[in-house]
Amino acid sequence: MESEDEMQDAWAGTSDGEFVNEEEDEESDALASDDDNDESDYGFDYSNVDDLHPSSRLPQTNFTILSEKDIRQRQDEAVSTITNFLSISPADAGVLLRHFKWSVSKVNDEWFADEERVRASVGLLEKPATSKRQTQTEMTCEICFEVHPFEKMRAPRCGHYFCETCWTGYIHTAINDGPGCLTLRCADPSCGSAIGEDMVLSLVSTDDQQKYMRYLLRSYVEDNRKQVKWCPAPGCEYAVEFQPGVGSYDLVCKCGFNFCWNCREEAHRPVDCETVNKWILKNCAESENMNWILANSKPCPKCKRPIEKNQGCMHITCTPPCKFEFCWLCLGAWTDHGERTGGFYACNRYETAKQEGVYDEAERRREMAKNSLERYTHYYERWATNESSRAKALADLQDMQNVQIEKLSVTQCQPVSQLKFVTDAWLQIVECRRVLKWTYAYGYYLPENEHTKRQFFEYSQGEAEAGLERLHQCAEKDLLTFLGGTPTSSFNDFRTKLAGLTSVTKTYFENLVRALENNLSDVDIPKAAAKSSSSSKASGSSKGRGGRPKVGSSKSGGSSRSGEESTHWSCEHCTYANTTAASSIVCVICNHARS
Amino acid sequence: MAENQASLLLRKQLKDLSRNPVDGFSAGLVDDSSVFEWNVTIIGPSETLYEGGFFNAIMSFPPDYPNSPPTVRFTSEMWHPNVYPDGRVCISILHAPGDDPNGYELASERWSPVHTVETILISIIAMLSNPNDESPANVDAAKEWREQRDEFQRKVRRIVRRSQEFA
Repeated sequence: MESEDEMQDAWAGTSDGEFVNEEEDEESDALASDDDNDESDYGFDYSNVDDLHPSSRLPQTNFTILSEKDIRQRQDEAVSTITNFLSISPADAGVLLRHFKWSVSKVNDEWFADEERVRASVGLLEKPATSKRQTQTEMTCEICFEVHPFEKMRAPRCGHYFCETCWTGYIHTAINDGPGCLTLRCADPSCGSAIGEDMVLSLVSTDDQQKYMRYLLRSYVEDNRKQVKWCPAPGCEYAVEFQPGVGSYDLVCKCGFNFCWNCREEAHRPVDCETVNKWILKNCAESENMNWILANSKPCPKCKRPIEKNQGCMHITCTPPCKFEFCWLCLGAWTDHGERTGGFYACNRYETAKQEGVYDEAERRREMAKNSLERYTHYYERWATNESSRAKALADLQDMQNVQIEKLSVTQCQPVSQLKFVTDAWLQIVECRRVLKWTYAYGYYLPENEHTKRQFFEYSQGEAEAGLERLHQCAEKDLLTFLGGTPTSSFNDFRTKLAGLTSVTKTYFENLVRALENNLSDVDIPKAAAKSSSSSKASGSSKGRGGRPKVGSSKSGGSSRSGEESTHWSCEHCTYANTTAASSIVCVICNHARS
Repeated sequence: MAENQASLLLRKQLKDLSRNPVDGFSAGLVDDSSVFEWNVTIIGPSETLYEGGFFNAIMSFPPDYPNSPPTVRFTSEMWHPNVYPDGRVCISILHAPGDDPNGYELASERWSPVHTVETILISIIAMLSNPNDESPANVDAAKEWREQRDEFQRKVRRIVRRSQEFA
């Protein structure tokens, strides 16, 4: 990793960089401001930032996955640090840390800046607020007004004594009200003295103790929203800590769930969080249903229920109880129809009115809704299909890892370690399906009027799809021939082919992801629309392709490369398969040196 | 157990109030079979618009009293910025602290088990003298109180007269 200073220097070079830099400085201070309104700013720009550091990033070094045990350990460490630094009890340290959202440095800064003020605001009084009645052997509880022996009375440091039963009831109510119990104050309304966890835990039932401890654990994550978040997978108990820095927001939790740290949706590179949000909203929004109803139905002129005309003539009879009979074209009562309106089945009234322009507005709206619905359906269908393909590929991958690899190892007399290229291929397929899926959301939101971009995008998407199909085909169908029977000599060719395809597809998709994240800025460069000629330029400018650790698909690493030595090599930049026979140090297509 | 504690405490408060009545209100049970429903009459405090009125209200206590606050609802007609049109009283000490976990600077104004029937009714009497139009329960009354004090006074005088007729 480069030092912080170097990063800042580099970032200062672009206006985007400066902006991101400020944001993240703020985060690293763990400031108390907990508004989330700046989240959308993260949307796109990190790709520029990491392009300035082609060699500085290892996949996912900026995330730490925390188990409950880790969180508890960190809480304990924070408490003991504060206990030592400020010479206060662990319970008081806990009160302070919860108040300052578990930031040790913040506690220190505030405490040493103005101890009095901090004590007053969190409720850690130095002296009892009331000193009466310490000597009596019996006391009246001010809540239940019963007289109790002094041993049955409890008070926080403020000295407001109440009986244990009343304290227990008070704390029990607070715990069942929610996480607010972590900052509970004295029951006396004029007193703000904090009730520490020592007092809480010593008084309440085991059930309440567990609830309280649960809130305590969760507060480390939930009060710390800018740095730690829960993994959004259902039932997953891990939290993820984010260290501001370079890199993408996509990460894999220990539970296997692949998600975006920023918006906590499933991983969605190359599409930015905002688009994903819009897309998901659109998918579940009622508005699509409304569009459909608008496009394909007309309301009954009498009862206003939408009617879809799925067959037959223009004579419509609404379903009971309405039973209104009307003409589909002019929506007038059927009784007005007959010879004088041009016959029963060709409505003159409609034709005349249409010529006068009466129906234009409604018709046009219906037409537009129909078009936009078709457009949306086109993208949604492909998005959803790729998702189901991905799910299928994931299942196949697991089957491969658990069953087929063993089989293959036996029939082909190969050690399992030599068959890693097969699982690598499947991992790549899963990843590519995911990317491909999101390119459809991208495509839906790509403005219609940017023709060049659309053309380029659709071309690249088409190529990506075709490449992925080749890989999927090879991994699924070609493999079958090697699963049964005896060791085949052609297995080595298969290895070369599959490993080669994996590597080529991987590179192609990485380039696609990067291009989309850069908002297809290559299109702005003249003559760059064709992928082969654009790549040499791009790698010279902001792309930084190749020669750097891979993002997102890091699982399939570089090991697959070993098998592709024999007959041809794939150019890292334009993915062209060059033959080894040629003077092959330079790619014949893009003239880029072989790496 | 908890319910037992609540009814013991309520009986004790009822006994104390009947033995040592407090100026400004009187209190009793709606029905002798339940100690959780109280009938109270609040006397309009002197030198205020509500002077001379006898306002009836019902206090309902939850089973986990005193850990949760009771509700108070006027059964007499009432026109006040902090009383909902249906008669419910909206003052901060009747709000459980859990309603607003961040409002600790105002902890002293919220519900606490230390409050009793007496402190609640004293707060309501104070509310009659000093309406708070910042966060009104009855927006129309608050608006009138702020902008058409004459009209507000007229309405309050009418409900005071009505309350005397029923008393």
